[in-house]
Amino acid sequence: MSTNLLRLILLFITLSITSSLSTPSPADSPPYLWPLPAEFSFGNETLSVDPTVTLIVAGNGGGSLIIRAAFDRYMGIIFKHASGRGSLLSRIRFLKMVEYDITSLKIVVHSDSEELQLGVDESYTLMVSKKNEQSIVGAATIEANTVYGALRGLETFSQLCAFDYITKSVQIYKAPWYIQDKPRFGYRGLLIDTSRHYLPIDVIKQIIESMSFAKLNVLHWHIVDEQSFPLETPTYPNLWKGAYSRWERYTVEDASEIVRFAKMRGINVMAEVDVPGHAESWGTGYPDLWPSLSCREPLDVTKNFTFDVISGILADMRKIFPFELFHLGGDEVNTDCWKNTTHVKEWLQGRNFTTKDAYKYFVLRAQQIAISKNWTPVNWEETFSSFGKDLDPRTVIQNWLVSDICQKAVAKGFRCIFSNQGYWYLDHLDVPWEEVYNTEPLNGIEDPSLQKLVIGGEVCMWGETADTSVVLQTIWPRAAAAAERMWSTREAVSKGNITLTALPRLHYFRCLLNNRGVPAAPVDNFYARRPPLGPGSCYAQ
Amino acid sequence: MRGRGAKIAGVLPLFMLFIAGRISAFEDIERLRIWPLPAQVSHGGRRMYLSGDFKLVTEGSKYGDTSGILKEGFDRMLGVVRLSHVISGDRNSSGSGGSALLQGLHVIISSSTDELEYGADESYKLVVPSPEKPSYAQLEAKSVYGALHGLQTFSQLCHFNLKKKVIEILMTPWNIIDQPRFSYRGLLIDTSRHYLPLPVIKNVIDSMTYAKLNVLHWHIVDTQSFPLEIPSYPKLWNGAYSSSQRYTFEDAAEIVNYARRRGIHVLAEIDVPGHALSWGKGYPALWPSKNCQEPLDVSSDFTFKVIDGILSDFSKIFKFKFVHLGGDEVNTTCWSATPRIAQWLKKHRMSEKEAYQYFVLRAQKIALSHGYEIINWEETFINFGSKLNPKTVVHNWLNTGLVENVTASGLRCIVSNQEFWYLDHIDAPWQGFYANEPFQNITDKKQQSLVLGGEVCMWGEHIDASDIEQTIWPRAAAAAERLWTPYAKLAKNPNNVTTRLAHFRCLLNQRGVAAAPLVGGGRVVPFEPGSCLAQ
Repeated sequence: MSTNLLRLILLFITLSITSSLSTPSPADSPPYLWPLPAEFSFGNETLSVDPTVTLIVAGNGGGSLIIRAAFDRYMGIIFKHASGRGSLLSRIRFLKMVEYDITSLKIVVHSDSEELQLGVDESYTLMVSKKNEQSIVGAATIEANTVYGALRGLETFSQLCAFDYITKSVQIYKAPWYIQDKPRFGYRGLLIDTSRHYLPIDVIKQIIESMSFAKLNVLHWHIVDEQSFPLETPTYPNLWKGAYSRWERYTVEDASEIVRFAKMRGINVMAEVDVPGHAESWGTGYPDLWPSLSCREPLDVTKNFTFDVISGILADMRKIFPFELFHLGGDEVNTDCWKNTTHVKEWLQGRNFTTKDAYKYFVLRAQQIAISKNWTPVNWEETFSSFGKDLDPRTVIQNWLVSDICQKAVAKGFRCIFSNQGYWYLDHLDVPWEEVYNTEPLNGIEDPSLQKLVIGGEVCMWGETADTSVVLQTIWPRAAAAAERMWSTREAVSKGNITLTALPRLHYFRCLLNNRGVPAAPVDNFYARRPPLGPGSCYAQ
Repeated sequence: MRGRGAKIAGVLPLFMLFIAGRISAFEDIERLRIWPLPAQVSHGGRRMYLSGDFKLVTEGSKYGDTSGILKEGFDRMLGVVRLSHVISGDRNSSGSGGSALLQGLHVIISSSTDELEYGADESYKLVVPSPEKPSYAQLEAKSVYGALHGLQTFSQLCHFNLKKKVIEILMTPWNIIDQPRFSYRGLLIDTSRHYLPLPVIKNVIDSMTYAKLNVLHWHIVDTQSFPLEIPSYPKLWNGAYSSSQRYTFEDAAEIVNYARRRGIHVLAEIDVPGHALSWGKGYPALWPSKNCQEPLDVSSDFTFKVIDGILSDFSKIFKFKFVHLGGDEVNTTCWSATPRIAQWLKKHRMSEKEAYQYFVLRAQKIALSHGYEIINWEETFINFGSKLNPKTVVHNWLNTGLVENVTASGLRCIVSNQEFWYLDHIDAPWQGFYANEPFQNITDKKQQSLVLGGEVCMWGEHIDASDIEQTIWPRAAAAAERLWTPYAKLAKNPNNVTTRLAHFRCLLNQRGVAAAPLVGGGRVVPFEPGSCLAQ
């Protein structure tokens, strides 16, 4: 590199630093990364990123289409301004002045396996440095064991990049960067509910895309409930009659497309059929599944047909959902209908069952069906609190109701997912971000071997009052608070005053979501999804 | 607008050849699920399917589509028809055989230009044949922008059949002749009270096309922030909320281009002198004084130089024939309270009100010098209507009866009366948006011709990227039908169109637009589980 050019670059950097003094810019501030990486260090240089930055891949998994597609997605995000990637005008203008500091992004992926399962290695390292005597080209390098680790690294890289309005170029502040990152929990979920309100495919894709920005990695799809049955089930086609209307449905192919779309972003889809207590809509197509026409829930425990249908649904779903976890629900089972329906009552008497015995019988039989399809069953916590010792030992317990249930479940050797409703139910609109953020899945669990059984947590976007028009702003930004809790080190999220350590970054992340077209609601409002209180900067609301 | 009826009548006999004889009854209209309702519709009762490689053909079209506007519009149309569904079905096994298969759309455009001109012909004719007839649907239009409207209508005829997993059109054959009632069908967005990121503005533009709105009124700057780059006066940009809540000049050009390719004009506004405090962040000389910062300093030539610089820059990117100069809510107290300006007023023997008039008229002249016609908010008309340049369009918002007075005086008018068409009034229900008639109390044809149309206004005090779509939709759609559909076809009682509007709202949802439920005022959330169609 010639000294003249170096001088030019220095002048250029000085100019941009000087001009940034008049208006605040990320250059003056802490690293605006969300969720905060496990380890990172940074310097004090500002680097420009070439709009035509090239992708260089290496390693056994470098050639993956998942990487190529993600690179293209992120280039669209990073260079979305008119003078960005593809704008000939700006390219010519800048080529005359300077060379860019970052001209390539190297992605090294060691494994060629694209299998996406619970606990897949999501670690990565990211280095961004300027050209110097040692390296001829200035570059950013992401190194990961799996393609999914590389995806997380790309997200972090995109958050380092900021469009600078003075130079009209994309800059990376505070370089050189060295980031070594991995998640604290392997399961970082978000529940959506397509039974209370149908969510169009396009909206589900928007949700999945937004999850990848916060490094969430499981979409828990509560597909069916008592209100509607939107998914096609080829083995029992009449189940589809339980959809709200003929428009509000998913075909098998639609569901597969959602799974594929999610996988491209490193996100697993965990399907749920919530039996026996949340399944009234099944009977619209098969009334035999109801105890009686006038008493329709829970599913009729007495009939083999009930379990045949469950088996059919699970067989069909197995072809769609490759994730090893499958959710069988099992919550809020009100067994009055069983007591009040003559043929069910007789059946109970014949077996000398209480209604609670029958509830257990139902859940365990459904578990065996799931296990026979090579699935690990997940059940809501009532199954554990009602008959925990009888559950299959492979069961993953999902908490929602009682705050210390994970503590109890892991003590019995079960794995657990934390979703405490007081803090991580997104339909509870009166929980501000701080409370979401401060909720710790490992609370009260000290033994490291037991801590390992808490596979992670999940924020739940129940759909009673959330449809297409409000679902994204009810999810964001609060889901991001939980996402950092689950990704970043416990130390990083537990120390210090979060008003200083987290809030400015969360403001920034919420605006980043907005800039990417995600309608994340203001951070500072006490109630979720409320409009901004008055005019103002996104970064101050 | 006027005189178009005769043209359509002229082509009608030719068109009649296609009509299969089943003219639907008026009551049938609400079952059509088309929004906004076309001027003339007839249909049959047969089902057809779209071929897997549904094609665009343009034989006989004078329009060359070198810019790709038609092709892109066609591809977008197919995209929203598929709604992300996987099209996997075998159409030929549907039992109807190949004859029910629609191979493509034949688009014939008679004008070769893709210049987006205000008031130009937006009409189109759409014919979907019966299963026995040739295998292409036909769309005829004068201009490519009329054809884009036709594509929107076509997209609403198509449905994804979830059982057969193919795209179908029911009730064929279809014969539709359509044109807008008003040439100005606007939506205001406000990027000063809250910055709206580029993808959000683009989403708003896309959603406008679904309802056939055609003017995006961009209230760029106001008291609170100045997000747009002005090359002639670069420090104006210092008035942005932050270093990143900004639009470059190229961004604005890109928005204009994005809108143009969808047949939408962008009306840029600077609201002078009363809504311009943020200008002074970069140029404090524009304020009367440091502690009295609004309206802009009327006494200084520099003020008008800056306006001239802004409008000169505007003229390079905002190609719409109109520019909006605001002029509303001018509190002139600062002028008298600032000694320097008070002296100037005295010297020129002007009252505050006269200075207000002087300011607006001088700004008008500057706009005219850059080739623009002017739009001003109604206070300018109320205060000194007779002095306004005859090319002025008066933009109503405050007073009922204003439209009558403006048109009686010979000026043109845009209707946005706040009690019905201000979207930030979230207690205003969609029924009011639907029922608001621009010709209220105006019977004189000449006066009617001066009403260019109307606009719904999405003021941004409580609107940011998180809630803009659901505050705009579905209520803007109710106004859009009022502005598009012939008066005689509009429902006298808005509640008669509830089902069709609910369907359009669900269609917006399916297309990824966060349109709110109908039940209630604006931006309501669903109060319980239920079908989209019922909420």
